Amino acid sequence: MSIANKADYQNFTLLSYHHIPSVHHLEIFEEAGGYEMMKKCFTLDPEKIKEEVKNSGLRGRGGAGFPTGVKWGFFSKDRNQRKYLLCNADESEPGTFKDRYLLEINPHILVEGMIISAFALGTQRGYIYIRGEFYEQAMILEKAVKDAYKRGYLGKNILGSGFDFELVVHRGAGAYICGEETGLISSLEGQKGRPKLKPPFPAIKGYRGLPTIVNNVETLAAVPWIMRCGAAAYKKWGTEKSPGTKLFSISGDVNRPGVFELPLGIPLIEVIEKHCEGVREGNKLKAVIPGGSSAPIFTAEIAKEVRMDYEDIAQKGSMLGSGAIIVLDETRSIPDILKWTLEFYHHESCGQCTPCREGTGWMEKIFKRAEQGEGKLSDIELLDKVAFNMRGRTICALSDAAAMPTQGIIKAFRGELESYIKIQMKNR
Amino acid sequence: MSEVEKLPKKMIKLKWNDKDLEVPEGTNLLGAALNNGIKVAHYCYHPGLAVAGVCRMCMVEQQGVPRPFPACNAVVAEGIQVRNDTKQIKDAVEWTLQFHLLNHPLDCPICDQAGECGLQDYYMKHGQYDSAMIDKKVHKKKVQDIGCDVVLDAERCILCARCTRFVDDVTKTHELGIVNRGDHAEISVQKELHNDYAQNLVDICPVGALTSKDFRFKQRVWFLEDVESTCIGCETGCSVKISQNKSGAYRVRPIVDSEVNGFWMCDDGRKIYKHLSTPGRLVGPMVFKNSMFLPVAESEIKEKIKSKNIKFILSAGLSNEEYQSFFKEFKNIKNITLYQLPKTGAEFDGILKRADKNCNLRGAQKAFKLAGADSSEEAMKKMLDTLTSQDALFVVMPEIVYDHDNYASFLSKIKKAGLRVALTTDDMRSEFSDFHFLLPVPTFLEKEGHIINYQNKERKLNKGRSYGASDRNVGDWAHLFH
Repeated sequence: MSIANKADYQNFTLLSYHHIPSVHHLEIFEEAGGYEMMKKCFTLDPEKIKEEVKNSGLRGRGGAGFPTGVKWGFFSKDRNQRKYLLCNADESEPGTFKDRYLLEINPHILVEGMIISAFALGTQRGYIYIRGEFYEQAMILEKAVKDAYKRGYLGKNILGSGFDFELVVHRGAGAYICGEETGLISSLEGQKGRPKLKPPFPAIKGYRGLPTIVNNVETLAAVPWIMRCGAAAYKKWGTEKSPGTKLFSISGDVNRPGVFELPLGIPLIEVIEKHCEGVREGNKLKAVIPGGSSAPIFTAEIAKEVRMDYEDIAQKGSMLGSGAIIVLDETRSIPDILKWTLEFYHHESCGQCTPCREGTGWMEKIFKRAEQGEGKLSDIELLDKVAFNMRGRTICALSDAAAMPTQGIIKAFRGELESYIKIQMKNR
Repeated sequence: MSEVEKLPKKMIKLKWNDKDLEVPEGTNLLGAALNNGIKVAHYCYHPGLAVAGVCRMCMVEQQGVPRPFPACNAVVAEGIQVRNDTKQIKDAVEWTLQFHLLNHPLDCPICDQAGECGLQDYYMKHGQYDSAMIDKKVHKKKVQDIGCDVVLDAERCILCARCTRFVDDVTKTHELGIVNRGDHAEISVQKELHNDYAQNLVDICPVGALTSKDFRFKQRVWFLEDVESTCIGCETGCSVKISQNKSGAYRVRPIVDSEVNGFWMCDDGRKIYKHLSTPGRLVGPMVFKNSMFLPVAESEIKEKIKSKNIKFILSAGLSNEEYQSFFKEFKNIKNITLYQLPKTGAEFDGILKRADKNCNLRGAQKAFKLAGADSSEEAMKKMLDTLTSQDALFVVMPEIVYDHDNYASFLSKIKKAGLRVALTTDDMRSEFSDFHFLLPVPTFLEKEGHIINYQNKERKLNKGRSYGASDRNVGDWAHLFH
């Protein structure tokens, strides 16, 4: 995996330490100015920190893009009440690897971000729920947490501020659904990883029935920078409704895939052509999935026009999601993409809500039948109908996450699906 | 019973479709509709269990709320306008039902739930009739005996999680859980059912996934009629309904009764129907002769008891009306005592079951007191100890016996009486061979009446079909003495 060249870093927020060798060591991180902001924040009014984050317009980087400041605003202000701050590091959306990259090079930026956020929110306990497959990253993170404890940045009465914060790294067991915030809470409680009914929202009643804030790694890691340079500086990047920078994990048919920190609102084609050095082997661009596997696919035409911010992508019928850009060139088969999408969501549906439990399996069966050469052209219509009826009818968004890309592919590449069904019938 | 709201609550006005509802504050939105007679398709919602919100059938639209949501996860609020008759919601319900039925085996002809199945019922209204599913269904384990006379068919299950919530929240025995994900999820039996309320699982299962071994394949439910009555299994006095038809009684199920049993009843209570329609129920007076029971003329009994000293032992399970008529008819007889079933099990199991198995002890005591008779156990023991060959002892047998040792020792003690007559609801069984005569009396289902439960509340017994000969209750046999 390659990353943008060193000169680019100076302006960046999240990756601003990534060029420093061995920055995962606490001393080196501190030498570069790490944890300075945390110390300063302890002298500030917590409400002021919240205000600053709210003013920055930072939006949740896990995929939904809910304004972080607003989420924090729902949280109980009672500093004596037991409350929790959870960090969602269960990064499992296919195509997404930004948090992993952030954590394995610089775990302390998250720890610092969590301490500042916890201080602002008045939470005494925090958990980092890290994806089970991220073994090395979890080890790196655990070491960072341990070092921070040793230095007195975590624990009781941190640096004499009177603020207590205990932080624990908890490894998941490999379920996509545990990346959903209430699924994560269920899993952390020791139950089966199944999302919970909302309302009540976690900010009111979350982990163990107590107020809980769940934020993505990237969201929390952005907090120290926002506090250091101010909301106004953060807002210089991006668009009005999508301020700041975002980590994009770009995979697929480009010459230089990897994680890039880029300002929101950047044209997608610039990401591909400039930062990723174009489509591989000079091939023609066929399609782009702009926000992880659950985002509807863009044809090359739309991909050339779209800007990478929440509102423009939404307006063109997809979503920014986790910022996982999957680039497909002309050699790729769209039915293949649909197949792995359907397989994935069938495998990961928790089985709680009926439309999702039955719908994800059914869609896979319909496709597999077509693959066996027993499909009908009307199956495309059926897939579309099933997908439509899975949307907006379940507790969490997994059902939508399975339905949206299916409908997106049908809308954008119906012709290719039709010819696929016909060819498979002939080849039977 | 936790659902019982004792304090008067503020009333909330809302609109469901075009109907105005007025319900107490804090009521569940779906519950508000159901309580007001509005039929809303639902599977996972049960007023006695925590909300799961997984079946997605009760979706509604509310003015001012952007997305449809399940009514079961909402609480009523003043002035809200809710609709579930829009095209969007109707389509959603139709499709959700289709999703429910997608991997369902559709084995209604051999399914015991047929006739009272949520899938069948809602299909009549919300079915799509032309199934779009032509692919292979997911297969799961069938006919699993999971203990406590409950049988699980995982293929029929729609994973509403009522059963898992019941064993988690009500009995707190946690035998059931859901394993696997997606359409392979199924109810798993972590350990065999081992609670006293397992048959409630059969009741709350909205489909044929959980069926009762006791009831399976005995009757089609549409051939049954329900008679509402009160359980005579213990002093709790749960409201129940007994399913019966002309060929017999088949099952007992609880009726929702916020004052006594809430939504449930115990497994012991499920068995109170067993003696109602057993073959060999008495058809008239019987005599024990030559090691067998034979019909006998009443005059023969009359003759035998004429010169004897009449003594009575009543059971503590008759209705108030029976005690009244008994004491009225037999006011000349002074030797009357009460046989109380001994306490069995824990004093109170925390849910419904109580140790005192006499369903109408309070009624009996009241009647004895009124008549100036002694209802204490000491009086009965004294009577047993002083029996002589000059005595004709009439024993009104308890309808249901739990502690058979105690019962046997009671029966062995009455042998000193010269003439022994049993008044019983039972069939002719060997334990009656110590009696000279048997007289039939009606079971709890064959008479109208009342009993008084542990709360000192009057509970009603209703008359259903009769499977014995006699409408004569205990007092009606008084003519033998005239």
